[in-house]
Amino acid sequence: MSDAPRRSTRLNKGQEEEAKKTKHADHDVEMEDTTDATKDGDKPEEKVLGVKELEAIAIADIKQHFVLFTKSAKTHEARFAVRALRSVSSLRKRLTAAVLARTIASSYTKDEEERQRLLGYLGPEALSSITSEDEATVTKVDTPEVGVYLHLLVMIYLLDQGQIEKGIELSNVTVKTVQELNRRSLDQLAAKVYFYYARFYELAGRLAEIRPTLLNAQRTATLRRDDDTQSTLINLLLRNYFHYNLYDQADKLVSKTTFPENATNNQLARYMYYLGRIKAIQLEYTESHQSLLQAVRKAPQNTVTAGFQQEANKLLIIVQLLMGEIPERSLFRQPVLRKALVPYFQITQAVRVGDLTKFQETLATHAATFNTDKNYTLILRLRHNVIKTGIRMISLSYSRISLRDVCLKLHLDSEEDAEYIVAKSIRDGVIDATIDHEKGFMRSKENVDIYSTNEPQHAFHQRIGFCLKLHNDSVKAMRFPLKVTPNQDAAELEAARDQEKTLVQEIAEADEDMDEDHDEL
Amino acid sequence: MAVPEVKKLAQALSQEYNKPNPDLAKCGQYLSQLKIALIELQYLTHDDKHNNIEELTLARDVLEIGAQWSVRTKDIPSFERYMAQLQTYYNDHPNLPASPLKYNLIGLNLLCLLSQNRISDFHTALETIDPEQLHSNPAIQHPIKLEQSLMEGSYNRVWSSRSEVPSKEYLFFIDILMDTIRNEIASCSEKAYTSLPLADAGTLLFFTNMADILNFAQERNWKVNPAEQKAYFHSDADEKINIPSEQIIKQTMFYARDMDRIV
Repeated sequence: MSDAPRRSTRLNKGQEEEAKKTKHADHDVEMEDTTDATKDGDKPEEKVLGVKELEAIAIADIKQHFVLFTKSAKTHEARFAVRALRSVSSLRKRLTAAVLARTIASSYTKDEEERQRLLGYLGPEALSSITSEDEATVTKVDTPEVGVYLHLLVMIYLLDQGQIEKGIELSNVTVKTVQELNRRSLDQLAAKVYFYYARFYELAGRLAEIRPTLLNAQRTATLRRDDDTQSTLINLLLRNYFHYNLYDQADKLVSKTTFPENATNNQLARYMYYLGRIKAIQLEYTESHQSLLQAVRKAPQNTVTAGFQQEANKLLIIVQLLMGEIPERSLFRQPVLRKALVPYFQITQAVRVGDLTKFQETLATHAATFNTDKNYTLILRLRHNVIKTGIRMISLSYSRISLRDVCLKLHLDSEEDAEYIVAKSIRDGVIDATIDHEKGFMRSKENVDIYSTNEPQHAFHQRIGFCLKLHNDSVKAMRFPLKVTPNQDAAELEAARDQEKTLVQEIAEADEDMDEDHDEL
Repeated sequence: MAVPEVKKLAQALSQEYNKPNPDLAKCGQYLSQLKIALIELQYLTHDDKHNNIEELTLARDVLEIGAQWSVRTKDIPSFERYMAQLQTYYNDHPNLPASPLKYNLIGLNLLCLLSQNRISDFHTALETIDPEQLHSNPAIQHPIKLEQSLMEGSYNRVWSSRSEVPSKEYLFFIDILMDTIRNEIASCSEKAYTSLPLADAGTLLFFTNMADILNFAQERNWKVNPAEQKAYFHSDADEKINIPSEQIIKQTMFYARDMDRIV
C-alpha cells in the first residue's frame, strides 16, 4: 500500500501500546492528506484533486458498496458483501463527517428517524456540508443491509474520532437492529458490527458488561451456522475473558465451542494466538507452540499488523524456551520486531547459557515490561529451565563431576539440593547420567546413537504425513471452471467467467491488502 | 429467616470458630443452618436487585469460615466448593470491602491444587491474582516458592518450608504434599542411582527410622540386600527394543493409499 512507509516509521518506534496511542492523533493527519491513501493508490492524478472531489469519490465508493450489498441480499451470494467489506479499510482513511453526512442525506428521505439519528452523531458542522443537490437526489434505501452498513461507517468514524460514549450508544442501537432483523444476508456485516461494539466497550473499560450479550449472540450465530459472526464473537469473548485474566472461563469456552473452519485468516490467527496463550498457562507447551506458530504464520506479514506479530512472537519465544528450545537469532533481527523483543532477547540469552544470576537480573530490570505484556508469570517458570540448561551443559562437558562443583557452578543453595536437582533432571530425561551417592559425584553416560532408535523413523513419518496432508488440502481447495451445458446462453457464460476472474483478482489483492482490524488488537 | 437473625447465627458461628479449641461438629451444624438461610436470601443469584453490600459481606464471611472449617475437618471437596463460591465475591464485586482473609484463603487454595498435583489449575488460578499481591503477599508467595522448588527438584527447600507457613491451616496441605514429594524423590532415585545405602535413602526421603524405610522400599519394589544394607534399583537398560512392526505396516499402508490417490 502506498502509505506503508509512513506507517512503518511510526511502528518502528516499537511498542504496540505506543502505536495504539498515536493512532488517534495520527488519524487526523491521515484525514487531511488523503491524497496518497485514495483507492488502491494507483491513480497519481488524484494527488492534485481538491477536498470536494475526494469527498465525491468517497461517496461514490460508498454508493458502489450499497449496490454490492443490495446485490448480495437479492442473490443470496455472500461474496458481494465480503467484497464491499474488504474495501472498508481503505475507505476508513477517507471517512469524514462531510462524506458521511452527504451520503446519509442522499440515502434517507428527510423525515426518516434513522436519518435524524445518524446525523445527530456526526455533529452540527457535518449538517452544514449537506448540499441541496444531495437532498434532491435521494435514492431510497430499500434493503436493511445498506442501513446497517451506514450505521457501521458512522461507528468507525466515531471510533477514529475517539468519541467513545457516542459510539457505545450507537453500537447498542445497531446491535439491537441487527438482532431484530435476523437476515442471513446481514451475517458478514453483523460480525463487523459486533467487533466495533466490543471495541467501544473495551476503550471505555466496560468489557464485563457486554459479556452476556456476546454469549447470547454467539449461541444464535452457532445455531444459524453463521461462520463470520461466530468466529468474530468467539474471539471477542476470549479477548474479554483475557482482559480480566479469566483463563479458566476462556478455556471452558474453547472446549465447548468449535471454531468454524471457514473463518477468515485474520480471525483464525487471532484465535490461534488466544489458544496458544491458554495452553501455555496450562503448561501444555507443545500444543501452545503449534497454535502460536500458526498464529504467526497466518497473520499477514506487514507493518499494519506489527502489534499482533510482536505479541504473538513474544509469547512464542517464551513457549519455545519453556520447551527447552532456543528461538532462532534471526527472529530478533526482523525490523518490525526488533525493538519490542529486546527484553525477550536478553532472557533468551540467559536461558541459553544457563546463567541463573543473569536471568534474575534481566527479570528484575524488565519486570514492568513483562507485567504489561502479561507474560511475567510465564517467565518466572523459566527459572528451572535455566537450571536445566546449566545441568545439561555440565553433563556435556564433564564425564564426571562432583556434586559440590555442580552446586557451585549453578549457584545452588546446598549440595543436597544439587543432588535432588540432578536426580530429577535424570528422571525427566534432561541428561543421561548416574549419581554415585557414596562418593558424591555424577557420571555422564555415553551418547546413544540416535540412528539405532526409532526416532528417525518417527521424524520421517511426521514429515511424510505433513506433505500428504498438504497435497490433499490443496486438492480440496482447487476451484474448477463452471460446467458448460448446451442450453446455456453464451453471454451468460461469459459473464460468469468474468465474475470469476475479478473474484480471483480480488482475493489476490486482498491478501496483500490487510484487514486493518489487526492493528487494533 | 430475615437478615438480623442470620446475622446473629453468623456471629455465633464466628464466636465458636474463633475459640482456642472450637467444637468443629458444632460449627458444622451452624454452617449447614446458615447455608440454608443464605439460600433463602438468594446469596447465589447476583443480579442488581441483590447488590446489598451488607448481605454480601455476611455471606462472604460465612463462606470464609466454612472454607477454613473444611480444612480443619480435612474435607478437601468441601473446601473446594467453598472456594468456588467465594470466587464470585472476590472477583465480581469490586465495591465490597476487602476481606483480611482473602489472600490467605487464595494461598490455601493454591496449595490445595499443588498438593493434588493439579499444576495447570494452579497456574490458571495464579493468573487471576493481582500482580502486586503476587510479589508481596507472604500468603501467596509461599505456595509460589513451593511450586518453583518442586519444579526444580529442590526438595530440601520444600521440606524446610514447613516451618515457614503463613498460617496453621497450610500445614494440612503441606503434609499431603510431603507424601507426594516422597514418591517423587523415590522415582527420581530409581532412575539416578544404581544402588543406594539404606541409611542414605532414609535421609534423602526424610525418614527417621529404619522400619519406615524398609516399608517404603517394599512398597516401591526395591531389592534390599540386608547384608550390605543397600537398596538396588532395577535398571531398564537391558530391556530389549522391539521393532514396532505393526506400526510400520500401518504407516506404509497409509503412504501407499495416499500415493495411489496422487498418481
